[in-house]
Amino acid sequence: MRDYPLENRSAFSPDVAVGTGAAINLAPVPGGFVIHVLGDAKSDEAALKQVLAKIAPELGADVRKSAPNQWFWVGDAAVYSDRLTELQAGLVNQFALADQTHGRVRMRLSGASSRTVLAKGTMVDLSADLFAIGQSAMTQIGHIGAMITRIEDDSFELIVLRSFAASLWDELHHMAAEFR
Amino acid sequence: MSSLVKCPHCGLRPREEFTIRGEVATPRPSAGADEATWFDHVYLRDNPRGEHREYWHHSSGCRRWLVLTRNTLTHETSDVVDASTLKTEGAQ
Ligand SMILES: [Zn+2]
Repeated sequence: MRDYPLENRSAFSPDVAVGTGAAINLAPVPGGFVIHVLGDAKSDEAALKQVLAKIAPELGADVRKSAPNQWFWVGDAAVYSDRLTELQAGLVNQFALADQTHGRVRMRLSGASSRTVLAKGTMVDLSADLFAIGQSAMTQIGHIGAMITRIEDDSFELIVLRSFAASLWDELHHMAAEFR
Repeated sequence: MSSLVKCPHCGLRPREEFTIRGEVATPRPSAGADEATWFDHVYLRDNPRGEHREYWHHSSGCRRWLVLTRNTLTHETSDVVDASTLKTEGAQ
């Protein structure tokens, strides 16, 4: 139990204007959780997913690799600190959890032009044959560090440090302007 | 866009994603080595023409330290490995 619990409040105001059905669309992903998972040198993703599915079937096992033996575990449910303590206790010593929900913001860029927009900012090749649905890359968009995950053919989720969220949001709007 | 480096963990990435630390120095002198030996180890760099091993940090990607074998003449990078492999290699 924390003495001074952080409040997981969305970085976006609830009335952010979100277009639908456009060639390009940028939307916040409100709520949910982002937990940094650090594994030891022998840990692997299959084992992690298996243990997560066992101890927290309600949270899903959407893990996105950020580095060797490190992942972001992401989901749409709310995870409170007591639950996090339980989860850590349920994990073998091989994995450690660090809650990043308050510190990392998720947003989703979708629409037919989404890949073209991202290609302006990142050098990672996002063509479907090299970057399949579910695949992630820790990279930069312009000068801002971000994780890109392909959610659907034409939809990408971005995870960015909260303090850079507004900059990335504005930058993506500029990058997408020609498709509006 | 820029020169590309093949991170062993992330694949081809632009140079901008990395922080360059510099030459992989010769093995650390013994604690009792004289001042001149330590001065050389800490401050003096060879600046070779040709193949050269450098520490690069993939600061905007996997955040791992890498050791890059780079040709200072052509900028060709012949080999990039995770820096932890130096330990098993036993060279440093
Ligand atoms: Zn890397």
